Amino acid sequence: MSADPGLAVRALSVTFGRNHLLRGIDFDVAEGETLVLFGPSGVGKTVLLRAIAGLEPAARGEVRVAGRDVSMRGPEARGIGMAFQNFALYPHMSARDNIASPLRARGVSRAEIERRVGAVADLLRIGHVLGHAPKELSNGQKQRTALARALVGEPRVLLLDDPLRNVDAKLRYEMRLEFPRLLRTAGAATLYVTQDYREAMALGDRVAILLDGRIAQTAPPETVYEHPDSVAVARLFGDPPINLLPCRPTESTGGVQVAAAGLRLTLPAAQHAIGRDCLLGLRPEAIAVHAAALPGAAPAQLNATTPLHERLVVLLRAGGEEVVASVLGEVPVPGSAVWISADPAQATLFDAGSGARIAAPAPVREAA
Amino acid sequence: MARIDGTSAFLARGLRTLALAVIVLFFLFPILWIVLMSFQTNEQILRIPPSLLFDPTIVNYRALISGKLVTAAGQLDLPFMRNLGNSVLLSSVSVLLSLVLGVPAAYAFARFRFRLGENIAFTLLSFRFAPPLLVLLPLSLYFQDLGLANTYTGLVWVYQLICLPLILWIVRGYFEDASPDIEYAYRVDGHSWWRAFTRIAIPLAGPGIAAAGLLAFIFAWNNFVFALILASADKQPVTVGALAFVTASGIQYGQIAAAIVLSILPTLALALYAQRWLVEGLSLGAVKG
Amino acid sequence: MSDIAHPATSAARVHAAGPRAARLLPYLLSLPALLVCIGILVPFGTAAWYSLQRYNLAMPFMRGFVGFDTYLDFLGDPDFWNTVEVSAIYTAATVILELLLGLAIALLLRERSPLNNAISVALLLPLMTAPAIAALMWKLMTNPGFGVLSWLVSRFGLADFKWASDPHTAMLTVVLVDIWVYTPFIMILLLAGLRSLPTQPFEAARLDGVPARFVFFRITLPMLMPYIVTATLFRLLDSIQQFDIVYAMTQGGPGDSLMVFQVRAYLEFFQYTNVGRSAALMMILWALTYALSNVFVKQWLRLRERTHGAY
Repeated sequence: MSADPGLAVRALSVTFGRNHLLRGIDFDVAEGETLVLFGPSGVGKTVLLRAIAGLEPAARGEVRVAGRDVSMRGPEARGIGMAFQNFALYPHMSARDNIASPLRARGVSRAEIERRVGAVADLLRIGHVLGHAPKELSNGQKQRTALARALVGEPRVLLLDDPLRNVDAKLRYEMRLEFPRLLRTAGAATLYVTQDYREAMALGDRVAILLDGRIAQTAPPETVYEHPDSVAVARLFGDPPINLLPCRPTESTGGVQVAAAGLRLTLPAAQHAIGRDCLLGLRPEAIAVHAAALPGAAPAQLNATTPLHERLVVLLRAGGEEVVASVLGEVPVPGSAVWISADPAQATLFDAGSGARIAAPAPVREAA
Repeated sequence: MARIDGTSAFLARGLRTLALAVIVLFFLFPILWIVLMSFQTNEQILRIPPSLLFDPTIVNYRALISGKLVTAAGQLDLPFMRNLGNSVLLSSVSVLLSLVLGVPAAYAFARFRFRLGENIAFTLLSFRFAPPLLVLLPLSLYFQDLGLANTYTGLVWVYQLICLPLILWIVRGYFEDASPDIEYAYRVDGHSWWRAFTRIAIPLAGPGIAAAGLLAFIFAWNNFVFALILASADKQPVTVGALAFVTASGIQYGQIAAAIVLSILPTLALALYAQRWLVEGLSLGAVKG
Repeated sequence: MSDIAHPATSAARVHAAGPRAARLLPYLLSLPALLVCIGILVPFGTAAWYSLQRYNLAMPFMRGFVGFDTYLDFLGDPDFWNTVEVSAIYTAATVILELLLGLAIALLLRERSPLNNAISVALLLPLMTAPAIAALMWKLMTNPGFGVLSWLVSRFGLADFKWASDPHTAMLTVVLVDIWVYTPFIMILLLAGLRSLPTQPFEAARLDGVPARFVFFRITLPMLMPYIVTATLFRLLDSIQQFDIVYAMTQGGPGDSLMVFQVRAYLEFFQYTNVGRSAALMMILWALTYALSNVFVKQWLRLRERTHGAY
């Protein structure tokens, strides 16, 4: 059927003494695809990258690059390009020599090295600083040099360890726009580590959420955002964080009815949620704030507002619960009485005990 | 500081300057005096009171370098240049060997966690302070049996007891301070372990290796007891040779002074040339070791 | 812990370590260090074994196992107790004086200025001088005929001051040489310590008008303690084993006045060819240094923890 995936990881585990940091990790990344590895700090994202690169002696399991099992090979023989979070540039070499390093390792001819380093430097717009030593480069230039070094060998697998972590906000924004083009050009199976969900949304074809040593969910970023598999994933992915309101669904025509924070929503959730303790997950964007009463809206107290990017984050109190909304446009001044409403299509129901999402019944196919 | 009025501040400054002057005098005068003495003839040396004003002469150095001393009593052979040569040979070969053996081991201790490494590190630490004679006395008997007594090979081997632990401790600290990511990046680029070690790890630990090598050279040069026990006259370094020289030609004070100057000149010159590395190595060796 | 050496389990394959050679790497690399350890441990074991024997090179036929008899004989041997006393005086005098002097110099040179830096570099020179050679230098300086120090003390009415040739002043002379050589070591360590101290406590104390003496005893000294302990440890262990200076100056004399541990052990071996006694002396000295270093390392770690907080 289809060709081997660019990167396949099977049953990968890393154990330090009694600490099982990673347990049985499985995933594939297709060629040309970007899989974002997302998780809280300390969860083992970097360790997972190092294990794939062959740098983690404590790793067990299988790593396949373009169908070849490279598990028994050293890092130099895996055909992987990697950019480190702290750049890891060679301080005693110029930017040019840093970038040329993977080509030199393969014995590429001098002229060819010159050509390919020049090309990748042009792509990343660092051609004018190739003669500089790393300590003479700005953070942004260091970061681009590190990327150029990872890309120049045209690896089948590209591992990017939070490459935008150590650059300033402006540059991070620019690079977030630039990355999709870069990664498309590279055409590698890319594993991209980040802790920033916006980066994950912007760059990932799919997102894998790493939690407690396991991958909790793998899906396109919109799916993870809109339909997180668990409360933990929902909490982790998104900023400002999701509203999780305790509720107990009751029976209703066309699904279940949920009452929380003064809101009444009808959800197409599974019948077995009825009568159980649940959490209603509402993204801040799913909540609308109104200055005047509307049918179906619940009264609320507007406590504070704070701008976040192009939106306004609004802290509210409704029905005895703290509620966070994120809106476009104006809202009344803090202290005002307001009304809120929520879009049931954007609501998710979780089991309060297990934290698992209570799946909506599969959407009925339109009759042909 | 508490508030102090002008007079006592002036007094404090004066006292501080005086204290520093006394300290500098105490620590530098002996060297200065020996240097001056080495440029005097015996007659000038024996003058009382000692004088700072004299006609300098290089007769002492000439005698040492030519190896022949003509006195009223006849001609005397001075093997001192041979001692100097032995010191150069023993110290440099020992340090080179120690670097070749010790730098990879220091790297292994710093980069890999393995039980044997901890045991070796612990043994070396606990024996860093053991009395040298404890090891040397049985060795002097073994050396007779092994045919290593009074050979350069044997001496260089024993000198590893001075140089290797020093290099291991100091260089290990430098390897530990360097981020392993830089080496990892080089490995992922497609370079072998050995190239990552020689092209990345060693250059980055360069200052530490230089400091450790320098200190090891000085300690090897200054060592006395190893050669005293294991070497006879033709293999002895300057430290033992100078003492033998004093015993042999007890009254040739000018030559003795010149021999002392030649013995300490290399280490002092090295110390002045590389003082920053030296201080770093000393502090690191002490604080980390 | 030592996962590198871990064998591959049947269920999963080791992959990152790659070929088996890569897993043996740390062992291969540390082989030389291992050899040095063996080079130390074998003669150490031999010395321990010798110390339990009656073993005199001049009387090989008398050789035999005597257990701890040699050690027990020391208890009633005034020569042995003389060695203990001389070593203790030498160690106490050098360590205390060097510590005080080294601390004083470090405090004087604390400010970073070109002059202070130049002085601290100049003070390196005695430390770089071989201790045996330093002893010869001081031997020349204290020569009764032309020695500049002999001349100096004679100007103060001490015409008959014999320095190392007199049992009463021999100790003073070698202690002086030791101070000359090793005080700079303490100075360097404490200066590095002083200059690395955080400045905020001192600025706060100055703003509050805390008296200088209080600042020194309540802030400077406690914060400097890890460095002082380290420097003391190094000097203590070196001093108790001093050989070069004493041997080059007087070979333990005059009489038995400078017969420190290692010099006595050396003479027992080479002069009296008494291997057993010599080895027993060294074992006692080793036990002493081992105990001292353990006590001090623990103390050092505790102090460091207190000074640097929880981490």
